[in-house]
Amino acid sequence: MSQHALAENPFLVLEVAATATRMEVERAGQKLLAQLALGVASAKSYKTPFGKHERDESAVRTALSVLRDPEQRALCELWYTDSTASGEPNAPLPSWSDALRSIGWRGPCTG
Amino acid sequence: MGIDLGTTNSAACVFDGEQLQSVRSAAGEALTPSVVRIDQRGNVSVGTRAFRFLQKDPDNTRGEFKRLMGSKHRYPFAAVGKDYAPEELAAQVLMSLQKDVESQLGVRPERAVIAVPALFELPQIQATSEAARLAGLTRIETIQEPVASALASGWSADECRGAWLVYDLGGGTFDASLLETQEGLLRIVGHDGDNFLGGRDFDLSVVDWLIARVAESSGVRIQRSDPAHASAVAKLKVAAEEAKIELSRSATETSIVIEALSVGDQHVELIEEPLTRAELETITLPLIERSIKVCGRLLRAQGGPQLERIVLVGGPTMMPALRARLQQAFGAPFGSGLDPMLLVAQGAALFAASAGLDARASSQAAKAATGPRVWLQYPAMTPDTSPFIVGRALDAADGVKSVRFTRSDGEWQSEWLALEEDQSFAGMLSLKRRASCTFQVEVTRADGTTATANPAQVTVVHGVSIGEPPLARTIGVARADDGVAVYFERGSPLPIRKTFTHRTVENVSPTATDYALRVPIVQGDFPFAHLCRLVGVIEIPSSALHSALPAGSVIELTLEVDRGGALTAKAFLPAQNLLFDHVEQLLAPATSPEKMAELVAQLEQRASGLRGKAFREGARKAIVSLADFEATLATARADLDAARGGDQDAAEKARRALIECDGVLGDIEAANAWPELNARAYEEHTHASHWVSQFGSDQEKRALSQCMDSIERALRARSAGEIERQLRAMTRLKLTAYYRDPDSWARALDQAASDVQGATDPSKAQSLVRQGRSAEQAGNLKELERIVRELWRLFPVDQEERSLSFNSGVR
Repeated sequence: MSQHALAENPFLVLEVAATATRMEVERAGQKLLAQLALGVASAKSYKTPFGKHERDESAVRTALSVLRDPEQRALCELWYTDSTASGEPNAPLPSWSDALRSIGWRGPCTG
Repeated sequence: MGIDLGTTNSAACVFDGEQLQSVRSAAGEALTPSVVRIDQRGNVSVGTRAFRFLQKDPDNTRGEFKRLMGSKHRYPFAAVGKDYAPEELAAQVLMSLQKDVESQLGVRPERAVIAVPALFELPQIQATSEAARLAGLTRIETIQEPVASALASGWSADECRGAWLVYDLGGGTFDASLLETQEGLLRIVGHDGDNFLGGRDFDLSVVDWLIARVAESSGVRIQRSDPAHASAVAKLKVAAEEAKIELSRSATETSIVIEALSVGDQHVELIEEPLTRAELETITLPLIERSIKVCGRLLRAQGGPQLERIVLVGGPTMMPALRARLQQAFGAPFGSGLDPMLLVAQGAALFAASAGLDARASSQAAKAATGPRVWLQYPAMTPDTSPFIVGRALDAADGVKSVRFTRSDGEWQSEWLALEEDQSFAGMLSLKRRASCTFQVEVTRADGTTATANPAQVTVVHGVSIGEPPLARTIGVARADDGVAVYFERGSPLPIRKTFTHRTVENVSPTATDYALRVPIVQGDFPFAHLCRLVGVIEIPSSALHSALPAGSVIELTLEVDRGGALTAKAFLPAQNLLFDHVEQLLAPATSPEKMAELVAQLEQRASGLRGKAFREGARKAIVSLADFEATLATARADLDAARGGDQDAAEKARRALIECDGVLGDIEAANAWPELNARAYEEHTHASHWVSQFGSDQEKRALSQCMDSIERALRARSAGEIERQLRAMTRLKLTAYYRDPDSWARALDQAASDVQGATDPSKAQSLVRQGRSAEQAGNLKELERIVRELWRLFPVDQEERSLSFNSGVR
């Protein structure tokens, strides 16, 4: 089921490598948007390690906007390499209380 | 064509693919004063000609109407005895600009991009579009002013790399934007500003200085708050502005001369006050420092990047003292060869080109060719030197086999691009840097012959592009229970469109008089509708209904935000096949000075409570915010005084200042509620992980962990809004997982059964509960869910909650 999140990775949606430059990302997105506007069949779906997925203009635009933001892109790069390396990553959920403690949170305040 | 529709001056610019050309007015100037005059015969004059009458004939000449766009205010013109809305006056300015373009280029523009301030809200953007429509423009898009200036400065820069600061000091507002630039790809990484700092404030500080000097030398006391003194103040204002401009250019000393100044029964024949550049600098220094503080805050918020360049926008940035102080504070060079007055119009023109908004719509279509028709998609302007062009042949009968592009300089030619089965093809073009390139389009047919295609050629410009700013505020629909159905989260890419199904909460009869079902649209990051800002309402009047609309009827709402941030909405009633798409745009409320004085009193009371708490607890951050609040409130009070003196513009400024004050107090209150929010985040997470770990999909588990990461970041940044947003996402995940639990619907049925007496139709509710029980026993979960949902609709909405959520008629 984690397949969905991974299959919607912007790098997969745009069919570019995680090492693509910003210009390459923009170029790929622009091409797909143009093809979708023309109704080109090959643009309407893309391959993922989990099979074919549908692709529409809003998916392409969302992918572009995620990859334009360096912080969000870094996260996608991580997941993208993950998915190709091990095929089915299943990272355990980080512990919430650990996360909170690490930032100095000491439990629910009562006062 | 790009238009800068300014508060004091407007400008138009055209872009032909290689050159940006500013449009000269009939008076030969690049700037057209945003002033409209209508004489007694109804003749309209705009710009420089009207500007001359601003002092002489103030009853028939109006300026600065941009500030009141989208408000109900109307400007009276005494001689013709009529009054006009701000957008009607703006339309006159637009028409004048169109005429100038026509006389310069021989084509009357039909499409344009108009720049609007970053702080413009939906009603004001809508009013701008309305002005364009009145001026006869068939298609327009809006662009935010800082985005436009960024685009123009990116275009004129040879080297495009690193962090840029766009420092935009306009007539009434100050905007600072931080840009990241890379090979012609621009991105706005952060934005900050001061809505109450502009060239006018510089003038007013000189006016205050003048008032003091006049009182000293002649004993005449002029008061900005006295309506009877308005014309004297206006005189001083003009003199102050002239002196400021003179001292900005070359002079180091000037003298302010005012003739025949009358205040009440006092009269001064001649005032002559010397003013040196150094004195002007001392007078205006506090204002410059305020702008520097905003820039500093912006840079800190973005991790303090090393600035490569500062781009200056707006007339007041001509002041030498301001430039020197900026240089000293940030040490980066100013963009050279840029005209601060025209940058916004230039950027708007570039944006028009990149958005494919050709001003010459009709003439372009006229030169239709005859060859095999191909439908081409390509960027009109791109920073990419090898962009894709894709297309498809439109008539199978033409038998097109392949397509080829040849650059008109003959130095580059594509391969023959073969058509795929679906008649489409894709290829790359090669552009020359910073130039407009035209490509001939040829095709080969099945019989081996070549022909020129229709269109015969395409033009692509190598330039800059800008990632448009994503949605600035979360937008949703207020539910009758004071909840918010979020349609678009802040940060979503534009354009965006979504449809959700809602239910009505009450019976509406077509015979009811004067009744309308309301769908309020709100913006803001709060979980409660009453905390969000109402931005529009769709009303479904009872008179429009074909038949009675029972409570619980399905209503499908579609919200859409275009690239310029303009919102449209539709409501569809499937049962009656009725569509409502008129959104009552909320006008910026024209608040009376009395009402605002009341608000000031309320704010002061709230602040005094918070101040006491802040000092008792030594909350340094709150104390600093409260000092800011005091300063803003002081300006608001001064503006309120001026508003009493009849200055509409000051009234608008005061209103904005009060909204900002309210925001500051809201932030402090939110900070005080921090422990509570913290506890809620903890509790919500505990519940969410309980249910998601049992019933959630792996995807949902991941989404939950992402949510947690974001909350963690927001906790660190102490951003209450972001936490609220993430909590909302978390609650959604929790509920999705919760209702996967086979027992959850049975529990919901028990809950509803215990409240059955409170239903609008208790006997129907009783029978549904019975049906539900048997569905439960039969193990028919689908049926059970359907019954519970129907039951829920029988429970009335709390009237108090409903009045809080703008009388919403849906949930």
